[in-house]
Amino acid sequence: MNSEKPPYLGFGLGLRPQHYEEILFGSPAVDWFEVISENYMIPGGQPLHILDQIRERYPIVMHGVSLSIASTAPLDMDYLGALKKLAERVNPKWISDHLCWTGVHGVNLHDLLPVPYTQEALDHVVDRVSQVQDVLGRRLTLENVSSYVTFGQSEMTEWEFVSEVANRADCWLLFDVNNVYVSAFNHGFSTDEFLHGVPRDRVVQFHVAGHSHEESHIIDTHDHPVCDEVWDFYREAVTHFGPVSTMIERDDNIPPLAELVAELDHAREIAAEVQKRARLAAAE
Amino acid sequence: MSSLKELQDTFQRGILAGDDAILGEINDSDKEQRTVLFGVYRNAYVSRLAEILGNDYEQVHAYLGDSGFAKLVKSYIAANPSDQRSARWFGRHLPAFARDTAPFANHPEVGELAALEKALADAFDGQDAAPLSMATLATIPAEDWPRLTFTPHPTAIRLTFNTNAATIWSALKSETAPPKPTRLPEPQALVVWRQDYMARFRPLEAEEAMMWDEAAKGVRFSVLCEMVATFAGEDEAELRAATYLRGWVDLGMLAGCAVEPAKGQSPAGAGNRASVRPVSQ
Repeated sequence: MNSEKPPYLGFGLGLRPQHYEEILFGSPAVDWFEVISENYMIPGGQPLHILDQIRERYPIVMHGVSLSIASTAPLDMDYLGALKKLAERVNPKWISDHLCWTGVHGVNLHDLLPVPYTQEALDHVVDRVSQVQDVLGRRLTLENVSSYVTFGQSEMTEWEFVSEVANRADCWLLFDVNNVYVSAFNHGFSTDEFLHGVPRDRVVQFHVAGHSHEESHIIDTHDHPVCDEVWDFYREAVTHFGPVSTMIERDDNIPPLAELVAELDHAREIAAEVQKRARLAAAE
Repeated sequence: MSSLKELQDTFQRGILAGDDAILGEINDSDKEQRTVLFGVYRNAYVSRLAEILGNDYEQVHAYLGDSGFAKLVKSYIAANPSDQRSARWFGRHLPAFARDTAPFANHPEVGELAALEKALADAFDGQDAAPLSMATLATIPAEDWPRLTFTPHPTAIRLTFNTNAATIWSALKSETAPPKPTRLPEPQALVVWRQDYMARFRPLEAEEAMMWDEAAKGVRFSVLCEMVATFAGEDEAELRAATYLRGWVDLGMLAGCAVEPAKGQSPAGAGNRASVRPVSQ
């Protein structure tokens, strides 16, 4: 198995069809692109043709939404086979999906559903991650999701659960800055506790995104620019974890590419500022 | 305490069937009641799938309007829980659903409009294949032409419409007022396929449709010419067949051709597709 730690890639964006032309003809200042794996698990045509061209110019990371790693339904070997086949074509720097489940009994709810933080769920997920890593021949990267409910039966915190999965299954973590912020607001925990609660050496990617505030709860909609509070937490995350490949997620109300590149520049500025401060502190 | 399996069953029933048993497993937050919080998942399921169908069936949406399309989508989602990992395939049963389910079944142009949009989407990301070129055809010796067979492009899909859905689609696509739905005096044949990464379609007259269908079955060129002669008269039948063929090649509707072995040439015998000599592209 390829267990080498994924490289630091800098600042990336999600690859969206609305931006294909600008990316191919404009060479935007984006260090890498993340693709939704399922969108390219298709027989052929323009999307794969364009992806082939973009991957010649930019590093690519594959991000799935339906691995359903925490589901009690059997692993879908057809899905895993198709994922592996796409990875052979794309040669991604890493493959990620979410620490969640998406359905049982052959149904896919097309949502990232929460898991109870129990020993039973932990054992189950750890076993499944190991199986998936064996099939893919590489370590998986798992993302913490936004959630709206907590379970009465949970026996540990989310960060304890996430850390145990990463350490026991020996996988990488995608630290979604926005998701931690959303879940912390929804469930009343401290973002700092989560930040300091996960193993630093396992985190290989950040997601940053916008959300919708519904007063009593926040919904992770990826349809707004990143808000100041999430940028503040991103600054803390960079300070704590050091340089980590950062990517801005936008899935709805997709603006012109230049707007997202400007947001990405803001992430660059924050990271540069944090590093400068760290260098000054080290020099003192 | 429920097992993980029981908990996921209950959670899923809560989303799909509105079953409230899941509320016994989850907590209120400091700021909100659990019914509202679980409602986020319930609402997301329907709204996400409705959005997917709206993207997949833009012209059906335009034709039915927001409220008519919302009715179609709501009943489709209720009848078809998604069984696909990728949302790309969730709406694949919509044409048959609209064709067979009241009140849409009383408006057959709706199901046909959906069938056209689905075929265009399927052609768009269907299997790749280099189109058969005139240059390749030109390499076929004249004596081999009678034994020539053709392979449609793998994205090619044949549809038969009883209504003017194709005309309605074209009007909606160009954002002009669609004509009134009508039942056609004769069924209309259409081929949908992909050329230069663009999904497109064209109607075929009855004779061309007959020849296309037979060619797609692997019938050789000499027999296709005989069929064309039988269909609309012997006069210039070969020329008509060659003209249709030329059109298919020009439009990238074919992916290949092959010369069947002459009788006695192969122990497998003529007509055995496995013994066909493919012509390189």
